[in-house]
Amino acid sequence: MWEHLLASFRRIGVGVGCAIVLGPLVGFLMGRSRWVNSLTEPYLNFLRALPPLGYIGLLIVWFGIGDLSKYWLLFLAAFPPIAISTINGMRGIRADRIQAAESMGANSWQITTHVILPSTLPDILSGIRIATGFAWTTVVAAELNNGIPGIGGLAYVSGTQLQTALTIACIMVIGLCAVALDTALKYLAQLLVPWHGKAS
Amino acid sequence: MIEINQLTKTFTSQDGTPVHALGGVDLTVNDNEFLTLLGPSGCGKTTMLKMIAGLQGWDGGTITIDGKAVTGPGPDRSMVFQNFALLPWATVMDNVCFGLRLRGTERRAREERAQELIEMVGLSGFESKRPGELSGGMQQRVGIARALAVDPQILLMDEPFGAVDEQTRRLLQEELLSIWERNRLTVVFVTHSMEEAVLLGDRVVLMSARPGQISEIVEVPLARPRSSDVGGLERSREYTEITAHLWDQLRSMHSEHRAVEAVR
Repeated sequence: MWEHLLASFRRIGVGVGCAIVLGPLVGFLMGRSRWVNSLTEPYLNFLRALPPLGYIGLLIVWFGIGDLSKYWLLFLAAFPPIAISTINGMRGIRADRIQAAESMGANSWQITTHVILPSTLPDILSGIRIATGFAWTTVVAAELNNGIPGIGGLAYVSGTQLQTALTIACIMVIGLCAVALDTALKYLAQLLVPWHGKAS
Repeated sequence: MIEINQLTKTFTSQDGTPVHALGGVDLTVNDNEFLTLLGPSGCGKTTMLKMIAGLQGWDGGTITIDGKAVTGPGPDRSMVFQNFALLPWATVMDNVCFGLRLRGTERRAREERAQELIEMVGLSGFESKRPGELSGGMQQRVGIARALAVDPQILLMDEPFGAVDEQTRRLLQEELLSIWERNRLTVVFVTHSMEEAVLLGDRVVLMSARPGQISEIVEVPLARPRSSDVGGLERSREYTEITAHLWDQLRSMHSEHRAVEAVR
C-alpha cells in the first residue's frame, strides 16, 4: 500500500508542482494584458470544463503509457484552477492600493512586486488548494492504464479482480490523504497570508 | 503654488452618454495653504485631486506646480486615501516606510524617519501590528504617517475621514490641525462635510456638479492655531455663519439637480 501511495504522491507532486509554477505565471500575464486574456481565456475555460477521463487516451498516444502521460494529465487538471484564481485575484485588487504606490513614485516593476504579487497571493494559494483536491480526484483516472504502482491504479485493478476489501481500503486511503493534504494546505495558507480576510 | 487652468474632463458613461466631470476649472492653491474642496458627489472634486496627484489624466487645460506642468506622480506630492489603501500584509512600520523604500532610502534611515511619524500620529507601540489588527481611525493615522514620511511639499487628502465614525473623525480633525500647524504643508483636502471644510480650511472651494465647476470660494476668517480650541471655534459666529451659508448653497444645488432629473 505504501509503495502505491508514494507513487501516486510523486505523480501528483510533479503534475501539480508544474501547475503551481506555470499557473500563476500564465494567470499573471492574462490578468496584466487584456490582449493575452481575450486570446487565451476561451482555451482555459475549455480545458477546465473537460473531464480528465475524456483526454487520458489522447495523452497516452502522445506521451506513452508510462508516467509522462500521467504527469501531463494531472498537470492539465491542476493548471486551470490555479490560473483562474490568479486572474480573479488580480482583478480583485483595489485600485487605490495601486494608486497609493503610484503616488509615492513606484514604477511598474515595483507595483508588481510590492503590490500586485502579495495582493494576489491569497488567491493563488486557494487556487492551489482547489487544484490539489482536483488532482486527487483525477489520480484514479490517471492510473487507469498501467497504474501499478499507484493508489488509484490499485483501487481500479483490485476492483476488476473483485478484491472489494482492498478497493475499499484504497478509497479510504485516497479520501483520508485528500483531507489531510487539504488541511495542511489550509494551515500553510494561514501561515503565509495571515492578513487575508481581515479588514483593509 | 498649484495653478489649475481651464481644466476639463469628460467621461463616457456605460450607456454612451458623456459625463462632464470637470467643465473648465480655474484654481490657484497658495503655498502653505490649507484648501478644502467641498461639493455634492459627482462634482469632480476627487477627480481633480487625483489629477493634481498625477494619477488621472484630463482632456483640456493645465496643472502646474511651481511653474512645472504635472505629467505624473512626483516626490513633491503625496496622497491620503478615503479607504486608507494600506498594504494589509505589511506592519505599521513597513507601511509608513513604504514610500521611502520605493525610493531606495537605506533601512536604518527610513525606519528612523518612520518612527518619528509613528510617534507623531500617536501609534507608538503598534509598530509591528498589521492594518487588520487596527481600528479605522488608527489605520488612517498610518495613512497620514505614510504620506508624510516622504517629506512632500503638498499633501493631497481624499475624504480621509469619510470612512471612520463621527467621534474618531473629530479627534482626527483636531490631530490633523495640530500636525499642520507644526509643518504648514500645502494641503488640498476633499470633503463632503461643510463643518470639516470650515474647521480645517483657510479657504473653502465650493464645487457644483454636472459639469464640475467652482461655484464659490469662501475665505475662512477663523484664527490659527485652531487645534487648541476647536470647541470654542465651533460655537463662534463666523463658523456658524459660514457653515450655514455653505449648506444653503449645497441644498440649492441638490434641489436644482432634483429638478433637472425630474424634467428628464
